[in-house]
Amino acid sequence: MNGLKEHGPSVLVAGLSSAFGVSLVATTGVLSQIIAGDDRASAIETVTMILTFIAFVFIAIATYVGAVVTANTFSTIVAGRARTIALLRLIGSSARTQRRAVATEGLVVGVTGSLLGALVGIAVTWGITTAGVAMDQIPDDAYTFVSPIALLPVVTVVLTTWAASWIGSRRVLNVSPMEATGAAQETSLDEAGRRRGRNVTALVLFVLGIGILLLGMVVGLVSPLGVLIGVVGGLLSFTGVVLGAAVIMPRALRITGRLFGSSATARLAAENAVRYPERSARTTIGLVIGVTLVTMFAVAVESYQAMIRAAQEAQPDVYQGTDQILVITVVVFSVLMGFSALIAAVGMVNNLSLNVLQRTRELGLLRALGFTARQIRTMILAESAQLTLAAVIVGLLLGTFYGWAGAQSLLGSISGSPGLITPAVPLVLVGVIVLAAVVLTAVASVAPSRRATRIAPVAALAVQ
Amino acid sequence: MDITPTDIGLVARVAHLGKSYGTASNPVSALSDVSIGIRRGEFTAIMGPSGSGKSTLMHIMAGLDTASSGQAWLGDTEITTLDDARLTVLRRRRVGFVFQAFNLVPTLDIIGNILLPFELDGRKPTSDEQKWIDHLVVTLGLSDRLKHRPHELSGGQQQRVAIARALATRPDLVFADEPTGNLDSRTGREVLTLLAAASKEYGQSIAMVTHDPIAASFADRIVFLADGRVVEDRGASSAADISTFMLGMEAHA
Repeated sequence: MNGLKEHGPSVLVAGLSSAFGVSLVATTGVLSQIIAGDDRASAIETVTMILTFIAFVFIAIATYVGAVVTANTFSTIVAGRARTIALLRLIGSSARTQRRAVATEGLVVGVTGSLLGALVGIAVTWGITTAGVAMDQIPDDAYTFVSPIALLPVVTVVLTTWAASWIGSRRVLNVSPMEATGAAQETSLDEAGRRRGRNVTALVLFVLGIGILLLGMVVGLVSPLGVLIGVVGGLLSFTGVVLGAAVIMPRALRITGRLFGSSATARLAAENAVRYPERSARTTIGLVIGVTLVTMFAVAVESYQAMIRAAQEAQPDVYQGTDQILVITVVVFSVLMGFSALIAAVGMVNNLSLNVLQRTRELGLLRALGFTARQIRTMILAESAQLTLAAVIVGLLLGTFYGWAGAQSLLGSISGSPGLITPAVPLVLVGVIVLAAVVLTAVASVAPSRRATRIAPVAALAVQ
Repeated sequence: MDITPTDIGLVARVAHLGKSYGTASNPVSALSDVSIGIRRGEFTAIMGPSGSGKSTLMHIMAGLDTASSGQAWLGDTEITTLDDARLTVLRRRRVGFVFQAFNLVPTLDIIGNILLPFELDGRKPTSDEQKWIDHLVVTLGLSDRLKHRPHELSGGQQQRVAIARALATRPDLVFADEPTGNLDSRTGREVLTLLAAASKEYGQSIAMVTHDPIAASFADRIVFLADGRVVEDRGASSAADISTFMLGMEAHA
């Protein structure tokens, strides 16, 4: 079985989410112990509370990102298995049985990934803390790394991975036994029917979410608890964006597609990027989420820092000692950013690979007609670049908005009257995101191009 | 050898061609010691039952697959020694293809598919070539379909587009692999008539792989393969004669 090849990335995503959650719970515990032992900071309670909030907000977000990536990966895997599923349907297996089989794979993936991730998460936190103590950066203390709360992210990741595989396997229900006979060509039309209903849901979620987010920002003017309302609004509205991705992303891709010229290679790449709106949405949405998160936290942290700096100037006594906490916060936030982006990148690379794998026949035709291996590589690189670029642009826009909204709802009450926070966009981080996107483009296209150029024209045409 | 394939009126030739799959200890032979020539300007059918090696032979002659032994030429170019990049350019400029199905790039419209070989070469058709393409489009009845996508066309129309693309570059040789395999018999006959006409009127050399006696009866010459060897090479024949011969082959096997 090629189970590991297909599910490896999903195990990795579940592992990353779980490692992230467990490590975050453990790190929050350690940080709280450090802050409690540090009598210089007088704003202890607010900071500890905010840290705990942030930890759980992050766990929710990471699990969500992981779930979306996993659901999309399973959709793509199921699309690739359509022929096999159709054959089993043909000889009498019910669609429900088939779907349950896929979901069971999801459960196995979730349990495996989550447990491995938990071990890694504990090990990483232990490693960082030990190193910190050894370098005299943090006080020596009997820190606890395993707490019952850590079970929460582990179990959540298992359940969300399972649920994600169930959602992602929905296409199984649309596989007709006829597809096994080879009479049916690959289509995406079956997905079009349910799209309208989904778009309405997406729009409702988006509008509702934005409404709640605005409410959170208003509440944030009087209490940092506004961020909890804001998170709900953010998750709802962003779920709207994710569900409506098949509408949003092809438009963004149309724009980026024009940037690559009009050669046959570039035109084919542009067309490939938008040919299946569902599929290109699947491929890019993980990255949109990643970039949105990175930008969101960059903007939020920048706004936070700007506020703290202003406060330090006004009341040097009260805010003495916050520098160290700020440094820790920035380090922690950077690691968190790296994680969400990593999860997204795994999803993107995997989806592009699966897409190429499922286009074997077409690539074989192009090779037969005279596409050189180099032209195939250029085409896939251009496709990868368009997908990444579109995701980055959408992500930057969304991230700036959410980051500002988050900072506003969390810090509005601390910032004093009138409590409005100016969105601060750190240009350096934007530059880093763009650079990382370029690297990702190149990395994401390596495996698919190698696979695509290895396709012998004959092998592709022999597929019946 | 002083005599080149071109001198003796051949557009393609293979000599002592062999192809085997599988491992060194357990080789499965698809072709063994096949030597034939495809004559310029003729419509040649390569026939044989499933597993006879006819597709493998075509793939090697078209530069789609490599030979295990022996040599193959297209015109005066020995293609068995060419690397992948050279073979690719050779296919693009000097070979045309009509496959059984999935001939067209789904993301390109019809005219985009027809012009693809030129675009891959990074050039526009010359005015002479453009006239030829316009002529093909009209002759094949595709004028009002140029902006359509392949999936909007019927199977027969898609095959006509494939023929237009294959003829557009005026290649040395057009390879057709079961070009009517996916069509109903009336549409199939139309496609075969078009191929035969391309050979007769434009002098286009065509090699068609088929196991259908009716399809082969449109050809000027029929080569029969069985178990990786040439067993018969004859001129134009009726579908009935071809069927009789093939049934005889089965009886001997």
